[in-house]
Amino acid sequence: MASKTAAKDIITLRGSAAIVSEFFGYAANSILYNRAVYPEESFARVKKYGLPMLLTKDEGVKSFISNLNAQLSEWLEAGKLQRVVLVIMSMNTGEVLERWNFSIETDNEVVEKGVSREKSDKEIMREIQAIMRQIASSITYLPCLDEQCVFDVLAYTDTDVAVPFTWMESSDAKLIANPQMVKLHSFDTKIHKVNTLVSYKNDEEESDDEE
Amino acid sequence: MILRTPAPKRARPIEPAPIIESPPVGSDHRQLAIYEDPSSAGPARREPSQQSEHMLCTYQCRQMVKADFLDALSNAEKQVQDYQSKLAELNDNFGKADEERKTFREKLSYVEQELAAAKGREQALHDQLLKEVNDSHERLKKELELSAKLQAKLENEQNLRKKAESTAAAAEDKAKELEAKLGHISKSIEKEKKRFNNELAQLNRDSKFSITKITVDLEKMEFRAKSSEQEVELLRKQQEDLQSKFSECLHQKSELEKRLTSLSFEDDSPKESDILVKHLQEELRNYESEVREARKLKSAHDSIELMKEKLLEEKSRRERVELQLPKLQEYELKINKLEDELSAWKLMIQDIPGVSCCDDVPLRISALQKEVIDNLKKLGEVNAHLKQMQVVLDKTQLDKQKTETEAALAKEKADRLEAEVKRMNLMLSAVSEERNMLKIAIEDFKSKNEQAGGHASSSALQELESSLLKREPYIKELEGDLFAQKDINTRQQDEIKSLHDRLNSEARKVKSLERESDRLRSEIFLLESKLGHGDFSAANTKVLRMVNTLAVGNDAKQTIEALQSELQRTKEKLQALEEYKSQSGNSGKLVDSYMSGKVAQLKEQIATLEKREERYKTVFADRISVFRRACCELFGYKIVMDERQRPNGIPVTRFTLQSIYAMNDDEKLEFEYESGNTNIVENGYTSTSEISQQVDIFVRKMNSIPAFTANLTVESFNRRTLS
Repeated sequence: MASKTAAKDIITLRGSAAIVSEFFGYAANSILYNRAVYPEESFARVKKYGLPMLLTKDEGVKSFISNLNAQLSEWLEAGKLQRVVLVIMSMNTGEVLERWNFSIETDNEVVEKGVSREKSDKEIMREIQAIMRQIASSITYLPCLDEQCVFDVLAYTDTDVAVPFTWMESSDAKLIANPQMVKLHSFDTKIHKVNTLVSYKNDEEESDDEE
Repeated sequence: MILRTPAPKRARPIEPAPIIESPPVGSDHRQLAIYEDPSSAGPARREPSQQSEHMLCTYQCRQMVKADFLDALSNAEKQVQDYQSKLAELNDNFGKADEERKTFREKLSYVEQELAAAKGREQALHDQLLKEVNDSHERLKKELELSAKLQAKLENEQNLRKKAESTAAAAEDKAKELEAKLGHISKSIEKEKKRFNNELAQLNRDSKFSITKITVDLEKMEFRAKSSEQEVELLRKQQEDLQSKFSECLHQKSELEKRLTSLSFEDDSPKESDILVKHLQEELRNYESEVREARKLKSAHDSIELMKEKLLEEKSRRERVELQLPKLQEYELKINKLEDELSAWKLMIQDIPGVSCCDDVPLRISALQKEVIDNLKKLGEVNAHLKQMQVVLDKTQLDKQKTETEAALAKEKADRLEAEVKRMNLMLSAVSEERNMLKIAIEDFKSKNEQAGGHASSSALQELESSLLKREPYIKELEGDLFAQKDINTRQQDEIKSLHDRLNSEARKVKSLERESDRLRSEIFLLESKLGHGDFSAANTKVLRMVNTLAVGNDAKQTIEALQSELQRTKEKLQALEEYKSQSGNSGKLVDSYMSGKVAQLKEQIATLEKREERYKTVFADRISVFRRACCELFGYKIVMDERQRPNGIPVTRFTLQSIYAMNDDEKLEFEYESGNTNIVENGYTSTSEISQQVDIFVRKMNSIPAFTANLTVESFNRRTLS
């Protein structure tokens, strides 16, 4: 994957795909913990990106996320993945409350020609660390999720991608009407650039309606 | 002091008598002709001729003259002293003037140096200003050229954008129209799909109904088969009875023949035997005729049954046809409706430009989609150009800021130069005032020197004047240079004003470009918001969702597989329907032929099913009969199978066995078969002592029904043969 040179490390397509898919796994766990989709006691603390990260202990969720990461890594290596969206919905009503949007820009030259790029691993980790901090601090402005919620993952891919067995094509992109959007930091491995954005249901309309 | 005895006088050369102006002594204004004594050392001189005469003067006169002379001398000495003091003063003044002159010379030199330095600075500043002005000119020219080019590019790109927007708007309108039409078509297609689905459901129901009917018919047929089998059995029994009778008759015949043969040896009356033989033969013939009649009856009965079955089949067919007749009417109505819809579609297709038939619609849609994609690409390219323009705008803004700063710096420098020029003017004015003051002082000094009779200072004053005179042209030159610099400064200010005007115009252009960039940024923001909202283009992107969610297990996989297979089947059905629709666009006759063909196919299927059923029945009957005969001959029991239900609803198969060696019909064994277990049923025959013992031994103790039946068969065989 990354071999250390003097100041910059060589990043290959496979290495970049692994970094991005791993990031999504940790980001998903962090979102599930911070948004209280699963109880706190179902998470265990680990060290990653220089921060104390929380990973779920639930076997079902763990297997789900691991299968998801494997497929995302495959699509990233093929350069077919455009976006990954983690959707948080109400369990009772099925209403979409939050959309964590991770858009991916791929360097097609690397995919086509198989060249590699140079970037310091430390710098990439620093950028990811900033995003993780922002996810953790997002609870200050995101509305409270008072009801029981579930999550789902959507993948925006190219139209020529073969649909795997455990996936299905969905016509419903689970959008939010008139959402509030907050753009977070992004990180770049020089092969894949990941932009993070969270859109959530406008809580002001509800408060106005209540008034 | 008056000498008492004058000293001897010396002979002096004849000299003109100097006229000495004696200072006025008191009020005496008399003129004194001084008697010069050659012996006197005083300055008084006398002519030798007069000396003798004067020698003759009295002593008093001489003394008076001497006193006067001495007075005059003292006065003169005093005057001389005064003049000397005055000279000293004048010398002091001259020294002071010299010092002042020196200071003024130093000042002049300092001023000259400063003037030279100022000149040099002015020249340097002038050169710098010229350079800067030239540089600014060149930059302004370049910027103007760039701005002109950018304006041209902007205009071109605006035109391109307008064209692209117009084409995009037209394409959007077309796309909207086509989408509306597609919506209508899709709605109509959906309606037709629903109709066809309903029809399919109806056909399915019909098929199910027919299947149920067929099953009912099959049951009926089975029942009939059973009844026929029962009849056949009865007939067989009859046949067997007849055969037994026939065999008895044959046996009797054989006995009779034997008797006849035995009787033939005894030579009894042959007539009775012949009569017996004849009677027996007649009876045999009668039996044979009866057997033939029975066979004929049986064949007739079979034919009757076949005819009945055929009648029933034809009746059922007639009923089905009668049931399908209203359906035909419905199909005809549907065909008419479909024809109307097809005509409406054709009209719609004619309205769509570039489309002549249904097959062209997807091509047209794809072409429009391609156009939309191309327009979007063009829009993207335009956006890229606009971004480049923004970059260029930023660069021009930076250049503009740089030029503004340079113009400000040039202004400051010009202001500084003006200030320096003013200062130089002030210095020149001060210098000129000092010169004037010096001139006045020199004139005063001259006048004073003239009065004092001093010559030494005049030369210095003349030198000062000469130096001042020399400086005047320099000052004039400086003034001329100042005027020239003022002219240059005015020109530079004019140029700066013109540059400012140009800068203002460019600033306006930059503002307009900034407005456009703001608008583009807002559009970009809208697009980004759309992206953040989650919108996507179906032409480039598809949304996939992971099915193996946390609530789904392996069973769900199977259900998912089944659903996917059902989806594929329904998709295939839809494709067939769509093909049918495409074919239906040709003519309504195909629909009719299709419907009639469908009905014929159904009828053929029904006929084939019925034929199969008959074949199966016949084959089954044959096989069953063969099997039963074989079982009967091999094991010695006639087996009859019945299916019954117990009170609790559990179906049970009952077998009744009758030995071929049974003495009467009551000797029957009954067994019940249920889920692999065979149990004997008690009846009148098995309750007898002999049979019950055997049942106890073979069935209950040894648990072997075949041994029981075999033992019973042997006993009945022995009983028969012995009897």
